[in-house]
Amino acid sequence: MSEIKETSPNTLMAFGVIGGLLGIYLTYILPLAGNAAGGPVKGLLTTIAPAAGALGGICAIVWGAEAVRRVAKYGLGTGVPSIGQIAMGMGIIAAMFGLSIVGQLTLAGPIVALLTASVIGLIIGWFAQNVIKMKIPVMIRCMTEIAAAGSLVIIGFSAAAAGSFEFGSLITLVFDNGIILGVFWIGAMAMLHPFNACLGPDEKQKRLLYLAFSTGAITMAVTGIAGIMTLGNAGIFTLLVGVVIWLIFYKKFWDEVYKDAASVLGTGLIPKTEA
Amino acid sequence: MVVLDPTTLINVLLIAISGTLVCIAVHFIPVGGAPAAMAQATGIGTGTVELAAGSGLVGLITASAMYAIPSVQADPNAMALVLAAGAMGSMIMLASTMLAGSLVYAYGVGVPFASAQVKKDPITGARQDLYMSKGTQGQGLPTVCFVSGIIGAALGGIGGALIYFVLVKIYATSALIGGSAAAVAGVFTMGVFYVNAVVPSYGVGGTIEGFHDPKFSRVIPKYALTSFVVSALCGILAILIGGGLI
Repeated sequence: MSEIKETSPNTLMAFGVIGGLLGIYLTYILPLAGNAAGGPVKGLLTTIAPAAGALGGICAIVWGAEAVRRVAKYGLGTGVPSIGQIAMGMGIIAAMFGLSIVGQLTLAGPIVALLTASVIGLIIGWFAQNVIKMKIPVMIRCMTEIAAAGSLVIIGFSAAAAGSFEFGSLITLVFDNGIILGVFWIGAMAMLHPFNACLGPDEKQKRLLYLAFSTGAITMAVTGIAGIMTLGNAGIFTLLVGVVIWLIFYKKFWDEVYKDAASVLGTGLIPKTEA
Repeated sequence: MVVLDPTTLINVLLIAISGTLVCIAVHFIPVGGAPAAMAQATGIGTGTVELAAGSGLVGLITASAMYAIPSVQADPNAMALVLAAGAMGSMIMLASTMLAGSLVYAYGVGVPFASAQVKKDPITGARQDLYMSKGTQGQGLPTVCFVSGIIGAALGGIGGALIYFVLVKIYATSALIGGSAAAVAGVFTMGVFYVNAVVPSYGVGGTIEGFHDPKFSRVIPKYALTSFVVSALCGILAILIGGGLI
């Protein structure tokens, strides 16, 4: 299948790390810029800031989903879902550690979390490769990437629901009311579902990436619903943006499925369209 | 600055042991994966992680409910009570899953329960190979698998409850977390639980019958070592979250 051009893992890693961190930091920078500008701009920027965290989370989900694809291709023997769950398990440990350990240096939190997650992923990957002897050549690299993506997903969507990634406010706005469990589960689903749904002999990266964008957008929309409870208007904005992104990328995924399929026959339930 | 007092070390060690318990528990639970869902392998027809995590999280709920009782917190034997509550919750959850599964296998699919790994059930002594359908890896949940599952659930529940018990006490005294100790400890426990449930499931490779399966003794040592190291690392991170070492 050499004729198919695929986006390289390094490009996607850069997309996930830079996009993820950029989105997360925008939730911090936009309200600051709003305060400096004052007036109606302040209200506007404060309302759209949390959505940036969710957009960062989507970048991390796309990266993570592709890393899941590369490692799960080898056949894990236990199903693709397990790797999404370990991603979030490692991610949540690293995210909580990174955000809390920095204390007053709030800005360093996401980067410390990202590095911690990479270290945890590296250690688990090393054990999987050298002690458990799973014989998957990409295991160490992919485990590291998946853990790092998991931590960015947790921080991004938590920031979208709490409006900030400062650990103190996350505790009251995300941990106490249980939103973190929603972020954990829907984030894990968003990361594991694309490959779980697309796997098979005719699996293509492009289709998977579009599906990853759309599952990320679903996570964003659900986080928006949670955000309505914690932040009010900002949550509504996150929800609406999430739904719009979902519609765009689900349509792209849909078109890709039609393009890759040998033929699509209407069963009477789904309207027949030309792709 | 860094204070490595014995209490901190014991706490890290306890979390490492809990993680190892969860890892060992996974091997006790009879999982059959997709083949079992079609009654072509012994065990419950779903993934390792789903079963281990499902029973472990119920154990976490019962353990935290027990810990929330004020008289339990004051009790010097609080740890035993919390661990017992966790074990009970997990065992009830897994037993009801296996019972419901057995009813479906026996009366819905209509297969006799038989293990593919042993000739005679180590507990009841009943012949197994006579009842195995051709081309399958056994069907349903023979007595030995059921018992093994209950043991596994108890270990998993104890593991989850122990992490929670250690962390909730540390976080309750933390200035940063304070009143939200239960929520933060619960979420962290869930993270450690998932990591330790997934890692051994790779060795199980989709299906394992329980402690009588030859796979059991073959894979446990290296997985237990992995889980111990990874959980110890998680334990150090967990204590740092509460500001214990700084």
